[in-house]
Amino acid sequence: MQPAFNHLFSRRHLLRQSAAVPGMLGATAFLSQQSLAEGAVGTAPVGCHFAPRAKRVIHLFMNGGPFHGDLFDPKPALTKYAGQRPTGTDLVTERPTGGLLASPYRFRPCGESGVPVSELLPHLSRHVDDICVLRSVHADNPNHGPALLQMNNGTILPTRPSMGAWFLYGLGTENEDLPGYVVLCPGKPVRFSILWNSAFLPASCQGTYINHSSIDPEKMIPHLRNAKWSQETQQRQLHLLRQLDAEVQQRNGQDEAFETRIRSMETAFRMQFRASDAFDLKQESQRTRDEYGEGHFANGCLLARRLVERGVRFVQVYYGNSQPWDTHSNHNESVPKLCRTIDQPIASLLTDLKQRGLLDDTLIIWGGEFGRTPTSENGNGRDHNHHGFSMWLAGGGVRGGMTWGETDEFGFKAVQDRMHVHDVHATILHLLGLDHERLTYHQAGRDFRLTDVHGNVVRQILA
Amino acid sequence: MRGVITICSVVLFLGGVPRTARADELQSVAAPADIEFFEKKIRPLLAAKCYSCHSSRAKKLQGALQVDSRASLLAGGDSGPAIVPGKPAQSLLIAAVQYDPNAEFEMPPQGKLAAHEIAALTEWVRRGAPFPGGADLPAGSPGEIDFTQARQFWSFVAAEQQPLPELKQADWPRQRIDHFVLAAMERQDLRPSPEIARAELLRRVTFDLTGLPPTPGEVAAFVQDPSPRAYETVVERLLKSPHFGERWARVWLDLARYTDRTASWLYSTGQAHLYRDWVVQALNEDLPYDEFVHRQLATDFMSETGPEDIPALGFLGLSPNYWKELQLPSEIIKVIVADEWEERIDAVSRTFLGLTVACARCHDHKFDAITMKDYYALAGVFASCRIKERPTIDEALYAPVRQALLEIKKREASIAELKKKKPLPQAEIDALTAQITALRSDTPHFDTPLASAVIEESLHVERKGKTMQSGTKLVYQSQPQNLRLFIRGNPNRLGELVPRRFLTVLSATDQPAPFQTGSGRLELAQAITTDGASLAARVLVNRIWLAHFGRGLVTTPSNFGQSGERPSHPELLNDLAARFITGGWSLKQLHREIVLAATYRQSSRDDGSRSETDPDNIWLARMPRTRLSVESWRDAMLSVSGDLDRTLGGPSVSLTDTANQRRTLYGTIHRREMSTMLLTHDFPDPTAHSPQRIVTTTTLQGLYALNGPLVLTRSEALARRLLAEQLTSDRERIALAYELLFTRRPSDRETQLGMEFLGETSGAARVNAWAQYAHVLLASNEFLFVN
Repeated sequence: MQPAFNHLFSRRHLLRQSAAVPGMLGATAFLSQQSLAEGAVGTAPVGCHFAPRAKRVIHLFMNGGPFHGDLFDPKPALTKYAGQRPTGTDLVTERPTGGLLASPYRFRPCGESGVPVSELLPHLSRHVDDICVLRSVHADNPNHGPALLQMNNGTILPTRPSMGAWFLYGLGTENEDLPGYVVLCPGKPVRFSILWNSAFLPASCQGTYINHSSIDPEKMIPHLRNAKWSQETQQRQLHLLRQLDAEVQQRNGQDEAFETRIRSMETAFRMQFRASDAFDLKQESQRTRDEYGEGHFANGCLLARRLVERGVRFVQVYYGNSQPWDTHSNHNESVPKLCRTIDQPIASLLTDLKQRGLLDDTLIIWGGEFGRTPTSENGNGRDHNHHGFSMWLAGGGVRGGMTWGETDEFGFKAVQDRMHVHDVHATILHLLGLDHERLTYHQAGRDFRLTDVHGNVVRQILA
Repeated sequence: MRGVITICSVVLFLGGVPRTARADELQSVAAPADIEFFEKKIRPLLAAKCYSCHSSRAKKLQGALQVDSRASLLAGGDSGPAIVPGKPAQSLLIAAVQYDPNAEFEMPPQGKLAAHEIAALTEWVRRGAPFPGGADLPAGSPGEIDFTQARQFWSFVAAEQQPLPELKQADWPRQRIDHFVLAAMERQDLRPSPEIARAELLRRVTFDLTGLPPTPGEVAAFVQDPSPRAYETVVERLLKSPHFGERWARVWLDLARYTDRTASWLYSTGQAHLYRDWVVQALNEDLPYDEFVHRQLATDFMSETGPEDIPALGFLGLSPNYWKELQLPSEIIKVIVADEWEERIDAVSRTFLGLTVACARCHDHKFDAITMKDYYALAGVFASCRIKERPTIDEALYAPVRQALLEIKKREASIAELKKKKPLPQAEIDALTAQITALRSDTPHFDTPLASAVIEESLHVERKGKTMQSGTKLVYQSQPQNLRLFIRGNPNRLGELVPRRFLTVLSATDQPAPFQTGSGRLELAQAITTDGASLAARVLVNRIWLAHFGRGLVTTPSNFGQSGERPSHPELLNDLAARFITGGWSLKQLHREIVLAATYRQSSRDDGSRSETDPDNIWLARMPRTRLSVESWRDAMLSVSGDLDRTLGGPSVSLTDTANQRRTLYGTIHRREMSTMLLTHDFPDPTAHSPQRIVTTTTLQGLYALNGPLVLTRSEALARRLLAEQLTSDRERIALAYELLFTRRPSDRETQLGMEFLGETSGAARVNAWAQYAHVLLASNEFLFVN
């Protein structure tokens, strides 16, 4: 056994024990620092391998796949060669595409760094000095399902844990009263719950899906409210539960599992109020609501802030139901509308986190499952493009005001400092204080990782 | 093949599994001029441009290719040797540095070498690639696997009945099991726990064998039964109960990654539940386990089974199916198809053999004697069958139904066309509708259910047109296929052809005979229970043991290989497995022996001494207190509140429907939209084989216990049931509740606490108070745990 695996060994040992002592593991995954301090739970999660730069993550997921050439990666050559298919544009994507389609949107250098941002994102462009644009991301598959799986679970196979599950497995959560991994989507993204599953990791590591189409917390969270009993009744019930349990333990002997479970119900009791508080946007001032703007995505951003503020480890905000960024036709009609609904909310989220001192240790990830082609589909659309696309990171230990990597002159393929999705994952885990090669889980005869046998940390983008 | 998309763990660099260099290659002696040429021009170049990825010093060796010795260059990689001495034109290394468009590689990847550097390398190879100076041999060459030795591994050797060990407390054992368990205890200076009280024993064994709680009547009958064989009678009754099959089917379905809904892109009218019901029935009939295996893999090949047995094929027929976008190049689709085959191998090898054969897709297994060839020999079997629904009657009888379905489809299309017309040609539409109705009612066997199954067709992924851009077509052929080995697991880089056959290490010889019949499914199934019998039996016996005791004799139930754990009681496992085989693979006999054992009848109460000596309860000096599965918890809530629908089988029903009063086994399992209730309560992800459930306690579970609609509904139902009983007092009602839920009478203090909670109420308030009280009892630990 290599020394590096000591943490995991104790983890595995714990897993084995947990079969005999139910409850230990779940308590671990929902571990709070407070309960650790109280000694309520005997063993920590895997824990950081080194000092973390980010303690929590917000992933703004533009499901469907935005075109980087409109937003963060200007390509004047598209105008120059519009309608043509010069050498280098014969890459295979999902569907046949025609000649190059110019992007009509202007870019200007922004902030002190002068990183160019599109006119479509005027609010966000003011934050560019906090943002690191990854221009050379690439993935393996130009299909939504597999690409969504790869971006979330590291592989196109639907049988592996999501990155959020890996985060919780590695780090646990900081707030016992809330789920550690929350997925917000006003509807359902393609492939749905497989994108936040725990696969072979403990079930308590899976994401908790919240449809925030309605902003009423009771509609968002299943079983949050008791349909029948008042808070006072519930308190009486819990009191009786404890008394009866004490009788049983007196008769049968102490049982740690009993105690853990009773405590989980008491925590749940508190969660009813804490969670409704955490998910209640009405508690925000009108001014804040206005700053974030209207719409599901704006609400998602604001909810994300409320959740990370309360110690939720990982919040994913999917842009919308199905795949709204999937602009196979009338691309230039859709994109300005889509951008209007993300620009102000994301900018406000960054401002808000900064003002609260949270941006320093909260990592923001922006991106889709892939990008779109510089060539046109049916004259006015763009096809999926996994050969090269942009994502960006901000906060949590990321160097702002920079771009990393390059695509070719048309934005079709990443050519300089290519960054595979595995590298993105490795880097994110690194920012969280986790070594992607050591965060492993042994099952089916081998150690599994989020990055499989791949991935390199891109140190050049670390602050 | 430039521009090919790299997928998954496919590595497109030069590389490969190191092979031992032959002695004659090492003995070539270089001329002084060649040495000078090499040291001046070649070694610095290799060191500067190649060693960072392709040498023993590489931080991360790419593709396992080393270019720091002549031997390793000759040993080469996936694409064969990196150089052919004297023949630059045939040397991959040269093609790679030339950025030859026909080569798979452009090396070094950072940029092409200067022309004079390429010329120097070419010249060097032309001179015979002299490489002086004791360069290292490629390290870690595995060499050939010694299968004879590998077959001596504990889980592969023949299972044999063991002599009973000497015991100090010789009067304790009731079954053979107990001799081995007690011997191990005595070695650890442990003593068995006393026997558990009858009522508690009944609760334990009834949940264990049927997944349901005993009724107060059953408890009273057993407690009062004076016969010395009272317990045996109970066990026989439970083994005969149809609920036995329901309870144990779920254990199997976890392994089989059972789902009620297949992928949305698979148009299928196959009814998944037929497989689930088949498993229930097979277990209830005590179908011998070897038969149970054969039928699930190959019942369509067995003359002794008929079409009514086709649902057994659901083990394969309900395998996960991955989306294949046919507009994509075939190179990509081949990888997805290969991933599916890997999934089948993983599920079959782990379920039936406790072996992780899927580890050998890209390289020989790192720990076990399983080669890549073994992997592709099995992959060929799965590459030769296709997921397809099949009728549960003879194909000949069903042929008219297929014809009728085609006719109906035609008419439906016509109706759709007619509906677009204005004015609406109602008469024509009515006529066609009538024809459809007639076809449905007049075609014999029209409503025969179709099972999710497989048929004998091999899948070939081909380019649709001439170029990569033209997309992909899937071609199914009735002939089975052997696969070529996928170099490094990449289906776009083919190695030698591997005939379909069984695993070498489990076969009697190092050259197992190729499968002859169709895809080879039946031969595979038979090999599992003949050549692999001892292993298959050990794995199965251990699974049953695990389900009864909460801990397997082997704690890695789906990994009986080198990297798995060793058995805590090797003689016991050996003895059980051997007798399981010789006794005709009877599962019920295995259960019977386990639950009748003194080991099983021990108390779970612990005075602290045993848990201190043996915290993990490896030596079984007490029974563990186990938590009910989510299925049993829900079923028990329905049962004690008097509403459990005990109907067997049939289509699944959504678990979100609070009116659903069927057993949880029949709740809908949907891979993509899993029931929140199940997922919250440790139900395994049904996309993959699940060896064992991991028990957790979470806040979301707590929330469910407080507010879950099922818990609230059941609380009210239980309250109504208690209030409806003709009893003289509320104290009596509390006592009844305790008997129903906990199989015991309450203590005075417990009754008192209940009475205080209920208070003095009447009318609706009284019903409410009782519902609140019932809720506490249903949420309690005592209800959820079994002593």
